[in-house]
Amino acid sequence: MQQHSAREEILQKLKTAPKQSLSPRPDLPPLSELSMTQEEMIHRFTERLVEETGVVYRVQNNQGALEKLAEIARAEGLKKVMVSTDDVLATLDLPAWGKRNDVTVMTPHDFPNRDSFRDAVFNEAQAGITGADFAVAESGTLGLIHNKDQARLVSLAPILHIAIVPVERMNPIYERVVDQVFGNLKPLPSQFLFITGPSMTGDIQGVLFKGMHGPRKVIVILVG
Amino acid sequence: MEIQTEQFTAAVKRELQNARSRAFLKVMPPVLNMKRDIGLSTFPNIDAAQAYGAAIRQEAMARLPELLEEFEKNALANGAKVFWARDAKEANETILQLAKERGVKYVTKGKSMVTEEMGLNEILSKNGVEPWETDLGEFIAQQLHRPPFHIVGPAINVAVEEVRDLFMAKANMKEPTLDPVQLGYAARLFLRDKFHHVQMGITGVNMAVAETGTIINVENEGNIRLTKSSPKTQVSVMSLEKVVPTMKDALHMIRLLSRNCTGQKLTAYVSMDSGPKKKDEIDGPEELFILIIDNGRTKIYQDLKARDALRCIRCAACLNICPVYGQIGGYAYGWAYSGPMGQVLNPLLLGLDRTQDLYRATTLCGACKSVCPVGIDHPSMFLYYRSKDVLGDPYWKGKKRPSSEKRFFKAWISAVTRAWLWNLGIRMVRPLINKDVHDGVISKMKGPFQGWFRTRDLPAMAAKTFHDRWKEIKSREAQGEGYRV
Repeated sequence: MQQHSAREEILQKLKTAPKQSLSPRPDLPPLSELSMTQEEMIHRFTERLVEETGVVYRVQNNQGALEKLAEIARAEGLKKVMVSTDDVLATLDLPAWGKRNDVTVMTPHDFPNRDSFRDAVFNEAQAGITGADFAVAESGTLGLIHNKDQARLVSLAPILHIAIVPVERMNPIYERVVDQVFGNLKPLPSQFLFITGPSMTGDIQGVLFKGMHGPRKVIVILVG
Repeated sequence: MEIQTEQFTAAVKRELQNARSRAFLKVMPPVLNMKRDIGLSTFPNIDAAQAYGAAIRQEAMARLPELLEEFEKNALANGAKVFWARDAKEANETILQLAKERGVKYVTKGKSMVTEEMGLNEILSKNGVEPWETDLGEFIAQQLHRPPFHIVGPAINVAVEEVRDLFMAKANMKEPTLDPVQLGYAARLFLRDKFHHVQMGITGVNMAVAETGTIINVENEGNIRLTKSSPKTQVSVMSLEKVVPTMKDALHMIRLLSRNCTGQKLTAYVSMDSGPKKKDEIDGPEELFILIIDNGRTKIYQDLKARDALRCIRCAACLNICPVYGQIGGYAYGWAYSGPMGQVLNPLLLGLDRTQDLYRATTLCGACKSVCPVGIDHPSMFLYYRSKDVLGDPYWKGKKRPSSEKRFFKAWISAVTRAWLWNLGIRMVRPLINKDVHDGVISKMKGPFQGWFRTRDLPAMAAKTFHDRWKEIKSREAQGEGYRV
């Protein structure tokens, strides 16, 4: 009841306030990425992500992606990873890859509830591996739609995030991506996320520190 | 947060003596300004991009009630629960009740300026719910009980030695170190345990999108994402001016925010929530509460001039460019909001009487206005506050000047508009005023006018007035002597 009246009171005050005249929006010149070819977009994406200390590899096909993944696992000493079950990774059969490469592959579906999943993703997973729904050239950004096959903590809690992205998912600017998510999906995803490089801070003395609360390193494997 | 806006002068004096703050201020703002310039250069036309940002925020304010209703309708349709609060007290009670009902012992918090404004942490900890600030700078500032030095890097000036001692005492750090990276890592480990088991998270909101009912957070550390992913319950607090019309508008504002704030093309994470998690999702909140808080905004909204202050998106570009902030840093402003944006907001939120120095400690140079991505005219706001204050405006709690000052100016007007009175007065006061002249300059004076000389001099009064000299010339002319200047 009290909540209701706060709402009414606030809106009432706003509605009875003096009106303000509104001039039309000025022109906004289009961003340069809009006129890029796909190869130019891939170049811009890579350049921008590397600026943010992200690492980008390009492979020909799924086989190449799996090989690159094995190479990364060896270099990073990965023994146990948490893997999403999204549509990109579904085509790669990572459990089989894990067996071949001596890496224990967990997925969020292996866990009956939030608490057991949290224990594993916070304490056991040395890396989180995900696909991505979009890549955005303008800032070297990944777009992830969170749903049952894309749990939020996979790309967040482990110290290393590896994302595998088919090149046809490359977009020039955010608007193209957001139109596809917010214009098409019903119901809307509980969370849509942009990731641009690793987690970081400059809060102590302005010294840049990667891996503040999320991943210290982000590796993107572009496929195609 | 304790309001210390009335101790401005004392804090300024202290900070001007603080070698560490001063060394820091020499470096940090210029670096951030340079990064901002580089960041903005990706726009084909920077002025057009900034002007478009101003137009979005202007429209959002003009259509505010309608947009809030649209936002609420869509947020509810997404499955979020929306609460409204008139003031800090109502908002704090609502959040405390949510925490109590769920039996949570602690919450993790994403950096949120509005919850600082509300003093939420004090209320929670007093009532047995421990609030953990998880933004590294905010965590340090919270533990040291300091106001934010900079709205983006709240503890960026704190000495590493102090951070080391703090983390040894309060963050389970095992080995003492002065390496900022190692210190950051110690904070990661300590707060990670909090994130792992947290049951309720509290965040602010950077933007609320009316057309989709989506709330957006912009961050670099990942603490907000963790606060919105790990616990079962999410509470997101937004002051009511955060709304923008469309997703497209939000994206443009995020481009401007990242560039104007840290010079980044985009912050590491931009997370957009439309309702709680779906049933088949294993993480994310089962319940998403959005708390829309007024706390003085509807009052600001009634005044068309003051309303422009509500456009602010907290990018801090105005802090980094400000010559005053560049000397004194953030502590002197005495509250959650510092620098020119604090000088614009604090007087409206706290009253002109409690913020006397804030709208006067300005050179009116307009550097803040020149970088603002939402078109706030800070200098004209400061002049507006001064006039309201002098007039004793009751709405904004203007203090009015002492009656002696009013009497003085009445007499002054009377004198300067009557030549005979002026000339008489001049003859009377000249010897008194010129008593303390050194090298043609008066640099101090006793009595009611001494305040003037705190920061200024006055030229000595001329031995003859213009009228006297004019008369002399005329009489010489009459005697045929001609001009002599």
